[in-house]
Amino acid sequence: MSNHGQAAADATPRDPVPGNPAPDEPSSVDPKLVAPKHVDPKHVDPKHVDPKPPTGTGYELPVYDFRLPPELADSKAGEPSAAGRKVYPLIIVGGGLAGLAAACDCAVRGIPAILLDEDNTIGVRGASSRGICYAQRTLEILNRLGIYERVRGKGVQWYVGRTLAGDDEVYSFDLARQPTHSHSCQPAFINIQQFYIEWYLVDRIVELGTVDLRWQNRVTGIRIVDGVAELTVQTPAGEYTLQGRYVIDATGIRSPLRDMLGLQTRAEVGVDRWCISDVRFRHKPKVERWTWIEAPFNQNRAVWQHLMADDVWRLDYQMAPDSDPDAVSRPEVVAERLREQFGEGVDYELVWVGPYGYRSHVMKRFREGPVFFVGDCAHGMSPFGARGGNSGIQDADNLIWKLHWVMRGWARESLLDSYDSERREGAEHNVQVTNRTARFLSPRSAAERMIRNAALDLARKHPFGRTLVNTGRMSVASTYTRSDFAEAALQRRLDGDAPGAGRPLQNVALQGHGDLVTLMRSLDGRLLAIAPDRETALRVDLSGAAGAGRLGCCMMAGGATGAAGADVPPAGWQTIAAREGAPARLDRALELMPGRVLVVRPDLHSAGCVEPEVLGALLACYLTADAAAAAAGEFA
Amino acid sequence: MTQGSSPRSATTVEPNLEDPDGFYESLLSAHEGLSIEQSFELNVRLLMLLANQVGDHAVISDCIRLAREAARD
Repeated sequence: MSNHGQAAADATPRDPVPGNPAPDEPSSVDPKLVAPKHVDPKHVDPKHVDPKPPTGTGYELPVYDFRLPPELADSKAGEPSAAGRKVYPLIIVGGGLAGLAAACDCAVRGIPAILLDEDNTIGVRGASSRGICYAQRTLEILNRLGIYERVRGKGVQWYVGRTLAGDDEVYSFDLARQPTHSHSCQPAFINIQQFYIEWYLVDRIVELGTVDLRWQNRVTGIRIVDGVAELTVQTPAGEYTLQGRYVIDATGIRSPLRDMLGLQTRAEVGVDRWCISDVRFRHKPKVERWTWIEAPFNQNRAVWQHLMADDVWRLDYQMAPDSDPDAVSRPEVVAERLREQFGEGVDYELVWVGPYGYRSHVMKRFREGPVFFVGDCAHGMSPFGARGGNSGIQDADNLIWKLHWVMRGWARESLLDSYDSERREGAEHNVQVTNRTARFLSPRSAAERMIRNAALDLARKHPFGRTLVNTGRMSVASTYTRSDFAEAALQRRLDGDAPGAGRPLQNVALQGHGDLVTLMRSLDGRLLAIAPDRETALRVDLSGAAGAGRLGCCMMAGGATGAAGADVPPAGWQTIAAREGAPARLDRALELMPGRVLVVRPDLHSAGCVEPEVLGALLACYLTADAAAAAAGEFA
Repeated sequence: MTQGSSPRSATTVEPNLEDPDGFYESLLSAHEGLSIEQSFELNVRLLMLLANQVGDHAVISDCIRLAREAARD
């Protein structure tokens, strides 16, 4: 599905890092653009509104070899092999954004997971549609996973956005000239084709070597026996069974696993229809994002025009409700639209064409025993604000460290339930946000259209009116307000006095440590406690449960007061400070509170900002009794 | 706190307009010569401007509810 990241900063401008030169990409990883192939209309069923990929592709994507799985290699006729009797710690099904992000996170953490994908390449059989905009939180996660530099090198950042209706510009903005509210080392967003992210993730997984990638392994059955998931897997070399202590379903919006487990999800299917044309122009347009809410050249319907990697522009046209995908994606119709938009002489190369619609749904629970649902199979939404792919990556980011903790015996199994409560809250929020945009772009009645006209008229004249124009609200990191683990446990133990639990933290630049992501990586999955000053740090009792070997401890250099001796960390602590030139002091960037310790989770969410004396109780929410009783000082 | 307002918000239904008759007259004048559609859009622009003066989401939500409840059926 196409992700409109267009409204990145319409409402809450953030600052992309200007002037970062794109490093040259090794030519071996560059796909060659090949002749466009027309969407075969037979493959597009208007009732199936998520984009069934066309047969054509504008890119040559890598092909990954099928390898004989050990379960088939050493099996004798009629008998399960030794490998077939093994219960694997984690099996990930589906190699899209969410599945590959989960697999890559496993590889980074050293979890020996297996990933099963029914295809032998990335992308949906080569479709170049789907996500093109990756938000700051995703980029921070990709930084942790080790592919951010490649994404930045290949991707595109834009600064000037224009929103238009009719022949006029409603308003425009230049992100490079706006004050930044961001403390992150990553920009607000990067535009890049989804398959590049998937490609880089695969490369990284292969490089790290911990995760077994099994291509052309299609799951055809699942059952749960005594809490263990048993998968039936079909391959070119035959069928086998695979048992997993945990399974992650990342098979997308039409998840067969979800259906096989009998878990209903009710999708709301709209009549809004869009058609993408990805093109390269001979004469390059300015690198600006243009959004028409009412485009005169598209029967006064919406149009997006924005750039992604390889000089390919995504042109996305809103079609008449329930329009016929055959008709709207015919090459001559595409050509006519392009002439309407760019003039008779438009000279272009068509890379990809695809009609699509969208549906929204949220599963009732994102966990069923040993099975976790991530990405589109758990939640679907319209593409506005690029919340689909970005939230799938956040799902993986939320789940894998928790699985790792449980696998290492650091946390009780119940920690895993917080994946459901936290990410379901994120999904429900995203569905609400995207539905609001969809309703702005497709007024349901004459009155709704007139209300929109009023908002547009005000936006032309007054800054506040622009906040009402909703062409998509860019994906942001979720705030978990009802985590059944962090929140409820904290309220029980600490009388609710852990402000900010569940709040996302940005990847701030640190002196000597690179950034917060790098610092967290050095902690090998531990929590990080940050004290605003030496006095607060001294109040933490590292010998008790608070130590537990699961905590790295840092205090802000100089403290809030900058008093003499304030730079000397107590035993077991080290100092941190914002990097010189950072937009704000560390206490401001991380919203530290005087006299309190901020506890940072491995996914850069706050576990709460607590009085040092109750740090032990906070950790006890997360850690097993054994871990909490373990010796302190592992980090020191 | 007046009847019909939420206990949490500061919505008032007690008289608060400096010049009720003047307000009413200005509203009528603004609509002179407009079609129903133009009047509708004018009203929406006006309420959006006024809502921006109020700012408080709870008060605005209260007002939307009160406006809806005041319809004749």
